[in-house]
Amino acid sequence: MNRAAELRGAVAFVTPATLITLSILAAPLLYIFYTSFGGPDFSFRAYSDLLGSALFRRTLSTTLIIALSASALSLVLGYVIALHLARQTPRRRSLYMVLVLLPFWTSVLVKCYAFTVILGRSGMVNEFLTWVSGSQVQLALILNRIGVLIGMTNYLTPFVVFPVLASLMAIDDSVYRAASVMGAKPVRIFRTVTLPLSLPGIIAGLSSVLVMALGFFIVPALLGGPRDAMLSNLVDFYTRETLDWSMAAAVGVLLLGMVVLAIAPLSVLRRKQS
Amino acid sequence: MSDRSIRDPQSRRLQAMGSLLAWAVYIFLLAPIVVVVPMAFGSPNELSFPPSTYSLDLFRQFLSSPAWTGPLLQSAKVASISTVVVLLVGVPAAYGIARFRFPGRGLIMGAMMSPLVIPSIVTALGFYLYFSYLRINGTTLALVLGHVMHTLPYVLVMIVAGIQKLDRNLEFGAQLMGAGRFRMFRTVVLPQLVPSLIGAGLFAFLISFDEVVISWFLSGPTTATLPVKMYSAIRWEISPIIAAVSTLLTGISLVVCLIMVALKKSTPSAG
Repeated sequence: MNRAAELRGAVAFVTPATLITLSILAAPLLYIFYTSFGGPDFSFRAYSDLLGSALFRRTLSTTLIIALSASALSLVLGYVIALHLARQTPRRRSLYMVLVLLPFWTSVLVKCYAFTVILGRSGMVNEFLTWVSGSQVQLALILNRIGVLIGMTNYLTPFVVFPVLASLMAIDDSVYRAASVMGAKPVRIFRTVTLPLSLPGIIAGLSSVLVMALGFFIVPALLGGPRDAMLSNLVDFYTRETLDWSMAAAVGVLLLGMVVLAIAPLSVLRRKQS
Repeated sequence: MSDRSIRDPQSRRLQAMGSLLAWAVYIFLLAPIVVVVPMAFGSPNELSFPPSTYSLDLFRQFLSSPAWTGPLLQSAKVASISTVVVLLVGVPAAYGIARFRFPGRGLIMGAMMSPLVIPSIVTALGFYLYFSYLRINGTTLALVLGHVMHTLPYVLVMIVAGIQKLDRNLEFGAQLMGAGRFRMFRTVVLPQLVPSLIGAGLFAFLISFDEVVISWFLSGPTTATLPVKMYSAIRWEISPIIAAVSTLLTGISLVVCLIMVALKKSTPSAG
């Protein structure tokens, strides 16, 4: 096919989606930048107000702490599952995979509701502890940091399993045999073979859960307390409570910037592989 | 690794420990579903697990309350319309992207795929501000437009993957025989794509049906979707009806998931 015909074909098929993307997606995103700079009367007011605001600074550090801890927790849990899955026969693996896929497909709202029932003041965990200890136990497990981390880790873990499993499966069995023949103990094999060779999966998984974790909205809103509000919740607060759209937009722009930074390792990795 | 592990007792012990840990994580992942589903069949007057009596009362209450059926119908409406629109726009685009090289291809693809990495709250805010400017906030139209952009990347990925498995020579053949570009697309490409189309359509429907953040920003009092209603319900009152709604959502996810697995198995080329 010659170049002109190729171009005509492309234009015919891609134009409608491109027009919609430009007018319904790109325009709103640019509109956020425009609004964050005060709209028609250009100013840095929103940004300087944000940097001076104690609420913003606290929310920013909360967001970073929660996102990093939830990502680290999901990495550990996801790695445990990926190791287990990688050891199974293909038949059993696809069976156990359902145990990861089902939670993966479950709505985040369902998870939050379930955790309020499981972890609430008179929830299942506290009831159980009361029954075991014989005295009234009412541990605060939700509407605080613990609840947010449990909810987020539960949501994010499957996203680690898939890339880590892919890189574990790509490791040649003969590498393990060689290490074992040379007398390496299992712990050493894990440290010097499994872990380094699964690094691409770890980086891919970690980077994608970090990106998601930075933008979490539902879990901190439903399972966290007022001190666990993340940047997303701040966007909601400025948009709906104080109706300060410039501030909301400025927070959105900063959040977008953080996501771009978090995704950088992933795109470097992709480029190296291709 | 297996032959080694049989001989070495230390590694066998470690493997057993690994399996134990893995099962603990599986249980943690499944705990929400395992708890919510039985509760949905419990009594409306108690919120306990496991329920002491079983009934369908919560489902009856859910389906007889307009405060819940309104959002349920609204979600079905928004998800159906969005799915149709996103397929109409996304399938030709996926074909153009998969089959042609043209200037700006990478940029256009990047823009269409961006909702995958941009936090939903940021896209939601963008839609909210922009649609306020266009004065369509709170309408079903706004919700549909938001959901179309939100589901487009998933549709593109799935349809591009489907097209790449097709034999391009059939398309060249049809065009040599004189079929125009669109006729060839309709009569040669689309019929072969049916499994991918069903898969992408189900995926788009499910994502739209479950979507909360964008809908939370774009819906008005009369256009709230089921997840929006559920979000405010969990926030303000912990009603047992939510267990029934949760079970319904989980059931829909499960059905879609099973259909997708079945589709994957029935496609010979996907082997």
